[in-house]
Formats: sequence, C-alpha cells, structure tokens
Amino acid sequence: MTVSRRVLLRTLLQGIGAGLVLGRSLQTVQGGRGDEAGQASGPLTVRVTRPFDAETPVREFASWLTPNERFFVRSHFGPPNADAVQPDVWRLTVKGLVKDGLSLNLKELRQFEEVTLTAVLQCSGNGRAHHRPKVPGVQWERGAVGNAQWTGVRLRDLLQRAGVKLQGLHVQFQGADRPALATVPLFTRSIPLAKALHPDTLLAYEMNGRPLPLLHGAPLRVITPGWMAESCMKWLAEITVRADETPGYYMQQAYRIPETSIHPSSGLPGTAMVPVERMLVKSLIAAPAEGDTVRKGPVTIQGVAWAGEAPVAKVEVSCDDGYTWEQARVIGEEQPYAWRQWRYIWNARTTGPTAILCRAMDARGERQPETSPWNPGGFLWNGWDRLSVTVAA
Amino acid sequence: MRMVQKPSSVVLASLKPSTYTNRTPRAGTLPAHRLAGVSKPDAPYSSRRAPRCGLVGRTFSPFTIVLLVILGGVVATAAQEDERATVEPTLARRAATLILARCAVCHTTDLIVQQRLPEDRWTATVEKMVHWGADLTKDEAAVLLQYLTARYHPGAPDHLPSIENELAMTEPLRGQTTATDGPLTGLAARGAGLYAHNCQACHGEGAVGGVGPKLARNTILKNDGVFWETVLHGRGPMPAWGSVLSHQDIADIHAWLATR
Repeated sequence: MTVSRRVLLRTLLQGIGAGLVLGRSLQTVQGGRGDEAGQASGPLTVRVTRPFDAETPVREFASWLTPNERFFVRSHFGPPNADAVQPDVWRLTVKGLVKDGLSLNLKELRQFEEVTLTAVLQCSGNGRAHHRPKVPGVQWERGAVGNAQWTGVRLRDLLQRAGVKLQGLHVQFQGADRPALATVPLFTRSIPLAKALHPDTLLAYEMNGRPLPLLHGAPLRVITPGWMAESCMKWLAEITVRADETPGYYMQQAYRIPETSIHPSSGLPGTAMVPVERMLVKSLIAAPAEGDTVRKGPVTIQGVAWAGEAPVAKVEVSCDDGYTWEQARVIGEEQPYAWRQWRYIWNARTTGPTAILCRAMDARGERQPETSPWNPGGFLWNGWDRLSVTVAA
Repeated sequence: MRMVQKPSSVVLASLKPSTYTNRTPRAGTLPAHRLAGVSKPDAPYSSRRAPRCGLVGRTFSPFTIVLLVILGGVVATAAQEDERATVEPTLARRAATLILARCAVCHTTDLIVQQRLPEDRWTATVEKMVHWGADLTKDEAAVLLQYLTARYHPGAPDHLPSIENELAMTEPLRGQTTATDGPLTGLAARGAGLYAHNCQACHGEGAVGGVGPKLARNTILKNDGVFWETVLHGRGPMPAWGSVLSHQDIADIHAWLATR
C-alpha cells in the first residue's frame, strides 16, 4: 500500500511540476522531491493524496521560518490548471459594492506599496485527530501550521482605490480552483470589512522571499494575519464587496463553531454557530520527538508558541506528565503574528518513560487548555502538546 | 454491469451498535494520569482546567467519559477481533468498488480510511456527497453506508488497509491484466454512455479534458498496452477501473474515444 501511494503521489507531483514548467514565474518546491513526500521521513506527511493535503513533521518547527517545500498544504479541490494562473492570463477583479470596479494583472497589482510581514498560517482543522468523539474531516495531527514571511500589497489599498460603498460590510474572496464536479459548491469565503481594511491584511505574491508556489496559491493569496487559514484564499481571482456574509456551504455551514461550548452527545448544536476567525494561543514541542530515548542529564526541549493577534506571554514545560511545570525561555525577537521559539533545558534524573508537555499563555491572559472544547467540525484544537520519551542511563 | 443486490440481504451478523458507539483511548491524547484517575497537584493553569475536569455543574464529566472510554475500549477490542468477519465479502467488494468509482472522482480513498465515525455521521456524510453529485443510487448509497459504518467506526483500529488493498484482498483471482479472451469489438454507441457515467467527471464532456488529461485524439488511444494498463490499474491520481468496468466496457469506451 505504501508503495502504491508513493508512486501515486510521485506521479501527481510530477504532473504538477510538469504543469509548472509552463509558467516560468511559478515554481513548485515539490517537483523534484515528490518521491519522498509520501513517507513520514520526507518533507511532508501526506493525509490526502488528492486533493493534496499534507502536514509538516513537527521536527521542522525547530526552525523559525518554515521552508516553502515543508509548509503544510491544504485545499478543497487542489490547485487550478497551471495555465489558468499564468501571469499573462491571470487577472484580479474587484467588484460588488464599490464605486469603481478594478481588473488588475500582477504587474499592475505590484504598483501598490509593497509590504512584508511574518505570520503563522494554521489550518482550522489542525489537531482535529485529537478531538473525542472523533469528527469527520482530514485527520490533521500537529503540523497543519507554519510560520512564513509574506510579501504583497495591502488589501486596504485596493479597496480604497475601488471605493467601498456605504452598504459594503463584508469582503468576499473567490479563488481560481474548481471542484471535479460542477455540483460541488465552490470554496468561497468572506471576511468582515474591518479585517479587510486592517493594514496588515495582505494579498501576497511571495512566500519566504520566493514567488508563491502553486500549491500555496500562486500567483496571489490572501493573508489575514492572526486569523485561521480558511480566510487566506489561495489562487485569488475575485474580490467582491457585499452587504452580507457570503452565502453557501463553506461560509454558512463549514468552518463554524458553537458560540458557547456544547456537549458532544447533544447532537447538532442548539447554540448559534459563528465563523472561525481568530487563532487561539497554542504551543508545540519540536524536539525531542515522540518516542525518543534521551540520555540522563541535560536535555534540550524546544518548540514554538503563537497566539495570533496577541503576543505570547509565557510558555511552560512539564517533564513529569503534568505534575510540575517550569517556565521555558522564549527566544528571538517578538514580531506581531509570527510565532516565538522557546527552549527549556531539562535535567533528566530519573530513568524510565515519562511524558513531556508544554502550554502557553498570551498577553490577553488566555491560556492553552489541557484539551480543547469539542465542536462538530473539529476546529481550533489547542490542547497542551504532549509526547512520550524514555530516559536512559 | 451493475450487480443487483438488495442491501437488506446482506447480513452483518456480529455488528452490534456497541461496536461503533464505543471509543478506544489513544495514547498521546489522554494523559496517563487522567486514564488512571490520578488527580494532580494544582498547577498555575488549574483555574482554566478546573471547570473542565470538575464533577460539578456537568451532567457528563470528563472522568465519567474516561471511565466509559476505558470500558468501551475493552468491548471494542473484543469486537475488533472479528472485524473483518462483520463485513460480508460480497458487500465489501461491492462497496470498495463503489468507493473507487464514485468517491475517488473527487478525492482519494485515503480520506475515507482515516475517518472513525458513528453511523449517524457516516449517514450525514454520504447524504452530503450524494447531494454534491456523487453518482450513487439509493441502493448503492445504502451498501456504502453499511460498509463504512462497519469498517470505520470509532472503535476500529488506528490503522486499516487502503481501499485498494481491501479490494485486492476480497477480489477473486481473475484472468490476467491486459489479456482478454480473444479480440473484443468495442461498440462506440455503448461507450458514450459508459464514458459519461464513469470518465467524464475528470476527463470532461466530449473527452476534451478537465482535472484529467484530454483524451480526444490522445496518442494513448493508439497504444493499446498503455491504454489498458492505465484503465485497469490506474495511473497517478486516476483510480484503477479494473474492478468497476468489464473488459467489454473498456473496449466500448475506447471505441467511443476513437471517434472523438
């Protein structure tokens, strides 16, 4: 099974790679390395082969920036045909409740002021596999998250040029990706006008200083720093200003959570469901790895912590399965929306198996809970991270 | 080509509701001290944790859940022993074939195999997919639902074989690959309908291409070996159709494609 999956994936990735030869400015980092991607030891752990959904092995989070070829990939239908998003064909339309509609190619788009920021991108389903009872969907574990530098222009600048009419309260995004069957609803999303006008909300064409790869939304994707990634529309083709939230499945049914926490056995929630928006405080252990054997003496435990729109206030580590906690040292510079790396030196004295846990608190005073509240979509898991290690003499 | 079988005739003898409503605890998600029921000294974050773990104000506390999970795990483990026996081979074969032909149009089967859902969630999922265009008759949807509920319930093991392997395991040995009993004459008129039903979603109306390559005037039509190999065993993201289409069906589709 492993072999056939790997072969399947290689062919798929080669297909994508071949398609990209056509669009010179579009580069995929997957191309030559696809044969490794199906293995846990490769750059990504594949959850679904088509549409390609894959997560980053957490050991990669020992680096502050997540490299493009190791960045998690998630989409509902896979990338559009490479020729549909070629620079000479692709255009971005701004329409709806605006005074003057816009239609821009990439060169015209780049006339707006260029902005670069570093932000965590996280799939709302990251950690879905930890929810009990289990919920349907891609069973993401820990790595549907990454930290990258995004370069592009402000969505606000485009909206100001187009002129948002008074009735315009939501900004809708449509990508160029399409489902295999026309009967499947399109992935269409909207964000409230306030977030769209925030000076840090970008339309990005570069990722970590390189042209945005096709798998990550080339030629243009939305970046809503501090919000979960379903707002960060890939392969962006149309922006529509509207009076109401976007109708349709992916805005009104999917990516919604109960307003107040509900009980798993209560069936469908009686409480109001609201769209998933901001990120919650969360931390992960990047090293050691699950199942590692460490030597008695000083052991470096390291990882990352982030809290979306708020700074990380502190990270705590337990090396005795949660009985006692120590504060980890948060390192590196604080940058809004980016994650912080942290380190803790554990003096391992007792041989045998133990569990290492971490949890973070943000500047708003919100704390990472032991387990996240259950919700029918399995979104926003931010329970304490935990791994088992064995201390050897 | 379609097998006619009423789902009610399929017996899932040892499948009891309890086998899929119970849950197995998974190492790494429930800390050991919680499974053991050991209380921990108050940590700085206990104010947040307390209401979640406390027995007050909840009709169904986490400790109760843990207890149920442990008890459930015992029952589920016993039930898992004869897991395979609970899915009748004819049903399994038919369901796996439907998954390859009808579900894999939009997503690979690995997405299905990783789910562990109770019957009501599977029902909702299959209904959603049919609503979105999955080409399943009522009977077919019922067969699929029975299979999914029996194989991928919350108590099922973490790792299960792929649908492709399931099919290989249940499939009777057949005459080999591209070999056919004498030359087949493809009927283009019949092939048109078969194409529309099985291939069009990916290869487009009129075989002009879609998520899959354009097939009209594609050189593969002139290379019998590659054509049959691809259709029977799949290629890249394309699923294997050998268990869905008969050799006559494939020859008919080929004949129709040759007219495009």
